[in-house]
Amino acid sequence: MAVFGLIDGNSFYCAAERAFAPELRGVPLVVLSNNDGCAIARTAEAKAMGIKMGEPWHLAQRRAECKAVEWRSSNYPLYGDMSRRMYEVLAARVPQVEPYSIDEMFLDLTGLPDVERLCHRLRDEVRRIAKIPTCVGIGPTKTIAKLANRIAKDDVALNGVCDLRGEADRTRYYAELSISRVWGIGSKTAATLQNLGIVSIADFIKLAPEQVRDVLTVTGARVQAELRGQSCLPFTLMPPPRQGIAVTRSFGQMANTWGQLREAVAAFATRAAEKLRAEGLEAGHLSVFAHTNPHNGDPWYSASRAAQIEPTSDTLALLSETMRLLHACWRPGHRYFKAGVMLANLTPARQQGQMFATRDTVKSARAMAALDAVNARFGRGMLRPAATGTAMAWKSRQAQHSPRYTTRAEEMLVATAF
Amino acid sequence: MNYNGGNTTGFVSPAGDSLEGRIDLSATLDLSRPSRYPVRVAGDALASRGIVSGDILIADAAFPPAHGKVAVVMMHGTALVGQLAFTKGQWWLASGHAGVQAVPVTGDEAEIWAVITGLVRTEV
Ligand SMILES: [Mg+2]
Repeated sequence: MAVFGLIDGNSFYCAAERAFAPELRGVPLVVLSNNDGCAIARTAEAKAMGIKMGEPWHLAQRRAECKAVEWRSSNYPLYGDMSRRMYEVLAARVPQVEPYSIDEMFLDLTGLPDVERLCHRLRDEVRRIAKIPTCVGIGPTKTIAKLANRIAKDDVALNGVCDLRGEADRTRYYAELSISRVWGIGSKTAATLQNLGIVSIADFIKLAPEQVRDVLTVTGARVQAELRGQSCLPFTLMPPPRQGIAVTRSFGQMANTWGQLREAVAAFATRAAEKLRAEGLEAGHLSVFAHTNPHNGDPWYSASRAAQIEPTSDTLALLSETMRLLHACWRPGHRYFKAGVMLANLTPARQQGQMFATRDTVKSARAMAALDAVNARFGRGMLRPAATGTAMAWKSRQAQHSPRYTTRAEEMLVATAF
Repeated sequence: MNYNGGNTTGFVSPAGDSLEGRIDLSATLDLSRPSRYPVRVAGDALASRGIVSGDILIADAAFPPAHGKVAVVMMHGTALVGQLAFTKGQWWLASGHAGVQAVPVTGDEAEIWAVITGLVRTEV
């Protein structure tokens, strides 16, 4: 029988902040989204104060009880590196690890002795070495392991590990738990089921598979089979090929003029081109959008343009195409709030110049490699096309960004000699 | 042009087939291990251990703490670096200053964070 584990960091972003900032331990803490907009990670103390996931921070801050809550802007270079550490601690100890998201990883525990004790040890070592507190769920399928993980999070008496390999244990929890707690059952699906009188997981697995397929399609039928203990979702060791690359962001400051909008979108196109080259790809389709903010009383204006392009990963080629499309979107008199650049029809980059290419692809590849090397060495954005501007008012508002402790020599943790 | 000791324009470089990369100190210090964290020292309290302000310490969170080892300790809301002592059944952080008492590493938030395994000094 297959055995899956799911290990998930508790308030991962907050834990990464606390790892290096002892003054944040034991106090309520939230990490905010890009632009310091909404709470996207909350410690147990912050949850207890009623701060909701995704709650706009400027609203929460008005509540008297939230004045004492510490907050940080999101620090993705740090979180990515801490996730890498978590993965490497696990990969050295179990045969296979699948990094499902930045803070949760599936473990292949099939055939290992004393799985529960192993999982307690993994938790301890991830905590000690990667500095992330976690919970582990164990089950014969991914869906059950995921459910077990949620149970371990909710019930402190379990000491962070919940094992649902035993059918009797599952039966007990299935009777109590709402179907809405299951991975792959969204709120809409749960409502559909509720209308049919299906509330608990036990109700759901009693249904005939054909009936589930009729109501919820094959996806729902797969969830049911997984909950019954038949593994349908195998281990994935390679990320799926990219469908597209998108760089979209809301601005730190509204863009009122063509110059401001152009600067912002040029920077997004530059970043998208970097991502493209980092994966050795070229894009054959480009789209651009920009819109105003409907939530602050401004008139709604939204425009987008797209074009097929000669496949390329060249920043300058992508920039000129982006500017052409953006100019077609631009109408004066609007305050632009958000924009983005999307690349699609991705194909592996060609090694040699193409016979009919209108650009010198070899020369361009060399220039781009040089650009990326400088940026890798001296920090992203060190060398960039002049179109991205020097004022950079469009840059995300990140008022409380913690140091990039593990990726920048000038920002490493400072400890006082005692 | 990017000259690397091998790609000469006139005479073929006899070193051309024998080029090696530069010395990589991050490999020497094993910084890619998930347990390794570089930490900068502030203050000269550990001068008697040969550690001075501005030094970069290589802290290893997988290394077992031991009596007499230098370690990063998170305590009372601060990151400290000092010498560990194990007496009376518990861990203490001993001061490098004579006459300053050792403090017990106790309390909910106190933690021996990582043990120091190496040191880098960029200015001597
Ligand atoms: Mg999590």
